[in-house]
Amino acid sequence: MHLRLIYLYRNLTRNKQRTLLTCAAVALPMVIYVLSTAVVSGVDAFLDNSARQLRLAVTHKASIINMLPEGYALKIKSLDPTGERLRAACGMRWIGGKMQNVTQPLSTVAVDAEEFIKAFDDFKLTETEKAAWLRDHQAIIVGRGTAAIFGWKVGDRISIRSSVPPYTSLEFHIVSTAEHAQDANTNWCHRSYYEEDLKKNIPEATQGMVSFFFVKCGSKADLDFFRVEIDKLFARTIDETKTQDEKAFMNEFITQQFDLPRNLTILSIVTVFVAVMAATNTMSMNFRDRFNEYATLKALGFGGGYVFTLIQTESLGLCLLGGIFGALMPYVAFMHTPLGRVPVPVIQHLEIRPIVCLHAIAIAAVIGLIAAVWPSVLALRLKVVAALRNLE
Amino acid sequence: MSAADIVATSVRKVYHKDRIEIPVLDGLSLKIDAGEFVVLMGPSGSGKSTLLHLIGGLDSPTSGSIRVGEYNLERMTERELTAWRSRHVGFIFQMYHLVPVLTAAQNVELPLLLFKMSSAERRERVATALKVVGLADRTDHRPNQLSGGQEQRVAIARAIVTDPDVILADEPTGDLDAKTSEEILALLNLLNSEFNKTILMVTHDPRAASHGQRVVHLEKGVLEREERNPARPAMAAS
Ligand SMILES: Nc1ncnc2c1ncn2[C@@H]1O[C@H](COP(=O)(O)OP(=O)(O)OP(=O)(O)O)[C@@H](O)[C@H]1O
Ligand SMILES: [Mg+2]
Repeated sequence: MHLRLIYLYRNLTRNKQRTLLTCAAVALPMVIYVLSTAVVSGVDAFLDNSARQLRLAVTHKASIINMLPEGYALKIKSLDPTGERLRAACGMRWIGGKMQNVTQPLSTVAVDAEEFIKAFDDFKLTETEKAAWLRDHQAIIVGRGTAAIFGWKVGDRISIRSSVPPYTSLEFHIVSTAEHAQDANTNWCHRSYYEEDLKKNIPEATQGMVSFFFVKCGSKADLDFFRVEIDKLFARTIDETKTQDEKAFMNEFITQQFDLPRNLTILSIVTVFVAVMAATNTMSMNFRDRFNEYATLKALGFGGGYVFTLIQTESLGLCLLGGIFGALMPYVAFMHTPLGRVPVPVIQHLEIRPIVCLHAIAIAAVIGLIAAVWPSVLALRLKVVAALRNLE
Repeated sequence: MSAADIVATSVRKVYHKDRIEIPVLDGLSLKIDAGEFVVLMGPSGSGKSTLLHLIGGLDSPTSGSIRVGEYNLERMTERELTAWRSRHVGFIFQMYHLVPVLTAAQNVELPLLLFKMSSAERRERVATALKVVGLADRTDHRPNQLSGGQEQRVAIARAIVTDPDVILADEPTGDLDAKTSEEILALLNLLNSEFNKTILMVTHDPRAASHGQRVVHLEKGVLEREERNPARPAMAAS
């Protein structure tokens, strides 16, 4: 092997603990960068898909916790009697759900069965599935991700305890695993079935209330038109509405729970910054340790440029090592092990694109170059005579 | 490569400390013939290392001129001096200054990175240099696996592997016991007599001084006196 490479390699392995710690300090931000980019682009893809669906979400103006009367659906639909521009208005009530002996909560939404099929045509349910869904008021369309976890299949009978009053166990018949639904973790059941159960167990409870309506429009222009019209319709009533497109609604919903994209970006920046400091510290310590060596090299006739490059290359190698490890770890973990099949809320499963890994490696390279700036400039300027005098 | 002579003329070197001028070399003139072995002595702080560094092109004189062979150092830029050094000067230091993570052979090979040559020639040169210093059997040892004397031999091999015309040694035996010192000095003698290298060696040790053909004494910035060594006539002994 060429002596230059041997020298580079020996320099990297000179202080193994220091090299390992620095690699780890560079690898960690790359893991975070790769994962958070995957999460953020997953969320983006989800929101973009929502934007394409021409759906409006109507909630109570006060907050999403306040409920709206189910009768609003008909009033909304009366805005377009032809049903061309405003195709469906589906009332929904979130009932959550828990399986017996399972700690992980479910996400189940009770919906108006007929309107649901019209409003959520992107589910691409088959005619058989649609028929089964409409025929049986105990029918449930389960998220395929959830189905995979519990081993459910079409035809199974399951029982789910609702997370809202009356907290009773409800029997369902699975009619579809919603292969084309964007959200793989939400289950959909008949609102009428839930209302029946509520009436039976708590007769005095207010019935016919929904958490939100999803309104399907015919075109983008219709979407913009009804977004304003619906709120106008209920202005100055007790229950005023807030209407936004599905993307905005989902975005609010996601960021309300945890402003993921923002927090992940901040986290990435902070960790990269820490990595720069760690690598700089390492390269400075290396410089101090090898001060006399650089002076000797210069005395032997190596120019400042050579010593400069020597330090830059070492720093680059060090950070690339950490960067490649940090970028490949999540890639291998999520693309080539069972970990990749674990469902993630909203985005279903993380997709780690090779280009993101390359970006991470490039960032690591930049960290390496930045970390070496100070020591390599010191080495460049190092006066042999002064250095030798300090040593002898 | 043929040996080069060294001619220093009216060399002044002034350092500044807190705006006070400290003249270290004060109009020093010295002539060393090609192939001569000269020993430089003088009290601590008299400017021996300073002179050696000036002749090696590691630093520039405040005034005066230094010529080594056909090169007038005061006319060269720092970059030119660096390139010149790699081809014409071999440095030997008291503390050896070997790269601790490289083997003896790799340390010797290091200066050859600045030369364009085939790897076969490179290996051959390294092997020859190590053989000359008597370390052919220690090529794969790291510096920390070698004794002080052996480390200095590696440093000497590193200094001669580029076949320089001048060897500048700053107290090369300062850190060694008497017996090892003798061996190192014998080796320098060999380089001088067999390989016709011009050698300027700084030392405090009178016994070491006896290996030179001429001893010059530096004091208060000038050469105070010099004496020829009757045991070693000026022409290289065979
Ligand atoms: N950069 C500098 N700034 C100020 N003074 C310096 C500088 N370099 C050297 N000197 C001074 O120059 C003088 C000569 O130093 P030099 O190292 O040449 O002496 P020396 O003869 O080699 O001594 P020793 O035998 O101790 O090695 C000393 O007094 C030293 O303090
Ligand atoms: Mg000295």
